[in-house]
Amino acid sequence: MLGSIEKPVEDKSNRLGMTRVGGRMIADYWDDLFTARERGKKIVWYNGGALNPMFQAAGLAWCHGEAFAARLAAQRLEGPAQLAGAEYGYNAELCSYSRTHLGCSVLTLQGTEGDQTGVVGVHDQEVLAAKLPAPDFFVNNYAGCSTGQQWDGISYRVFGKELPIFNISHPFLWGNKPDSGYLRGEEWETASRFVADQLRELIGFLENQTGRPFDYDALSESMTYIKRAGELRREGLDLCKAKPAPATFWDWIASVAPINFLPGNQALVDYFADVRDEIQGRIDNGVSAVKDEKYRLYFDGIMNWNKLGYLSRKFAEHGVAVLAGRYIQNAFWQEPHLIDTSDPILGMAQHYLLCPTNHGAKTLEYLTLRDCEEYGLDGLVFHSTRTCRAFTGPQRLLARSAQDKLGIPSIFFEGDVADASFYKDGILESRLVAMLEAIDVRRERGSLPDGFSAFA
Amino acid sequence: MTDASSEAMERLVGVARDPRAYVGRWRAEHPGGAVLAILPMNFPRELAHAAGALPVIVQDDQQPITEGRALLAEFYCGYTRNLADQVATGRFDLYDAVFTADHCIQLIGATEIARTLKPDTTVFLGMLNSSMNDSWAPAKVTETMAEIRAEIERFTGNPVGPDALRQSIEACNRDRRLIRQLLDTRSAGEAALSPVELQDIIVSSMVMDPVEHHALLLEALAGLHGTERDDRVRVHLSGHLCHAPRRELLEVIEDSGAIVVDDDLYHGRRYLSTDVAEDGDPIAALAGWYARRNVTIPCPTRVQQDADWDVYLLDAVRHSGAEAVIHLVPKFCEPHMLYYPELRKALDAADVPQLQLETEHEGMPLESFRTRIEALVERALRRRPVHV
Repeated sequence: MLGSIEKPVEDKSNRLGMTRVGGRMIADYWDDLFTARERGKKIVWYNGGALNPMFQAAGLAWCHGEAFAARLAAQRLEGPAQLAGAEYGYNAELCSYSRTHLGCSVLTLQGTEGDQTGVVGVHDQEVLAAKLPAPDFFVNNYAGCSTGQQWDGISYRVFGKELPIFNISHPFLWGNKPDSGYLRGEEWETASRFVADQLRELIGFLENQTGRPFDYDALSESMTYIKRAGELRREGLDLCKAKPAPATFWDWIASVAPINFLPGNQALVDYFADVRDEIQGRIDNGVSAVKDEKYRLYFDGIMNWNKLGYLSRKFAEHGVAVLAGRYIQNAFWQEPHLIDTSDPILGMAQHYLLCPTNHGAKTLEYLTLRDCEEYGLDGLVFHSTRTCRAFTGPQRLLARSAQDKLGIPSIFFEGDVADASFYKDGILESRLVAMLEAIDVRRERGSLPDGFSAFA
Repeated sequence: MTDASSEAMERLVGVARDPRAYVGRWRAEHPGGAVLAILPMNFPRELAHAAGALPVIVQDDQQPITEGRALLAEFYCGYTRNLADQVATGRFDLYDAVFTADHCIQLIGATEIARTLKPDTTVFLGMLNSSMNDSWAPAKVTETMAEIRAEIERFTGNPVGPDALRQSIEACNRDRRLIRQLLDTRSAGEAALSPVELQDIIVSSMVMDPVEHHALLLEALAGLHGTERDDRVRVHLSGHLCHAPRRELLEVIEDSGAIVVDDDLYHGRRYLSTDVAEDGDPIAALAGWYARRNVTIPCPTRVQQDADWDVYLLDAVRHSGAEAVIHLVPKFCEPHMLYYPELRKALDAADVPQLQLETEHEGMPLESFRTRIEALVERALRRRPVHV
């Protein structure tokens, strides 16, 4: 309306202060990577599960492709890479992580070869391509999504088929056997050993690439820190079951990068200890993550990285504490008890298999409903992640299960991991409001099942 | 064609267009026999055939998607959404079990719909290692083939011994070879069969018992007379890795001044490209077949550093004398979207005119496609030498 002034919406979110510390750690990591070549480091590009402890022990610098795409999206710098990818021929419906990262590959090559196509500006290339050092070799560690393995296969081709590449194959945990289940059964045991064997092969590959014997002690040391960080992260997550919630899904999203690819060291442990302590401090002092928390929801889907701050404020504005999600509770060294620090290979392999897109729907149903119950949730929000078929595949089935077995409702909204153009704010707003009203009505009628009573 | 061969061809077309009716007849003739839904792209049908079952590669049945829309996101490929719809509307009920061997995340999504909506049905994934250069891949693939055999034996209650398996391998090879001959003669200049007829022949081979199919196809071909190509622009069709392009699209291509001389479609050369070794251990032979298929015609769903789809495509174009390539990319097919720029680069470098058409399950803009194909044809025609 002409002349109207939009009233600023009160920010009811209260994000953890420690996430700012995490942000600095991440920025330092990338700055370090951008200058790695100058310091004589070999550089590996990789995708999928967190192989960084391996690379750390091998004395390498590492670039996680998805993480770099996510970082660009979070900083709203993804445009030039995506334009370069589009000019090269990648369709906009292709996984936006891969599209952004492959666009970076194109830019990186143009930067090194001086091939200017005229579409992407020189300045943008300086910002992106000049900073991201070209790889010396690739390692693919993708479980769950078939696109992940193909993506690195194409990166290898974009770089002229000249760089070494190592692939780790992960069986999809489909559940063929009668004894199949989460962390159990013949299928789980066989797949764990299969991937562990490949990790041992990877060590030989890394020795060839670096020309040095692999430092197993360094791997044990790194994994000792990561295991401890994983335990502290779990403790912090468990504390968030408190009512009102002391921290939310969005705080944990902001802490994905540290647990996913920062070096395993004391700083990492300190970070997650401080996160846990801040959460405990909030419980002790009655501080909530969302002002006037009224609803508690689950969020399924990979993060819409360029909307993190916006979504945290949006949900809080409606009194919603988003507390659990497949991408948080069921990802990123989430079962630290599996790691034997004196011989961490098997536990690492198992975590790679535990990628949240590598389970059959039965296991995902178990995990999702478990978390809904444990966190006392009122409903689910499914981020129908436009270019991520791996995450979205079972979502409709999970929504049905939550309704049928727990009696809790769901909504879907469309967005994407690294392409803001797919996000439709009006759809999320209207569907969220409708679901919250439905929850209100059901509370008034007292029709929520046990464990889901109205929370004031 | 003679009356007998026309009738045989009609029967093949009938099976291709209505697999359900064929399955019904097969059941009547094989009381107690199991009908297995097989999902593309690399499942060894021979194992199911050797167990006395009918392995039917499930086709995109070209019906509008209704209830399936509520089960898979609209940005899944048309084939997988169609599969979900077949399950949701009961059109999948003619199968006794579902077997698949490929790790495509969208296919797995559709398979999950079958498993969830049909909880009492066996839905088996024997996942074939898709990273072909892994040193452990041969052993792993052989192990998976043995697992598939064991599961089929368990499900059907019939043992799959080496002799029975060899016989099934021979039967499937025979049928593959016969159809491949048709494709080879097409590349060499034969134009007796249209792309729609060839597609019907291939679809029927995916549905029928291979022995029966081979006999019927021989009958159909008995009255076939050679027909030379006319001077339409020779095109190679590339893509559609796991389901058939719509028949009306094939017709529009040939109505627009082009003639299809070769392809690497799943419902084309890709499906038939490779025979299984008939000697030695048959399980090892099936594993070897899986590996060689990706060398014969590389597939972007596999990762293999020393097998290049772009190189294959250029060789095929040179071999058939194709003057242009039409890429048929099913909307949302990620492996094809990933590999497409490599194909484009290679064809551009070789100065081969090309056109990308993004196909959809429903609502394909055929008239828009016609205009674009006509433009491609014009472009190719201008390259022909002028004779004065």
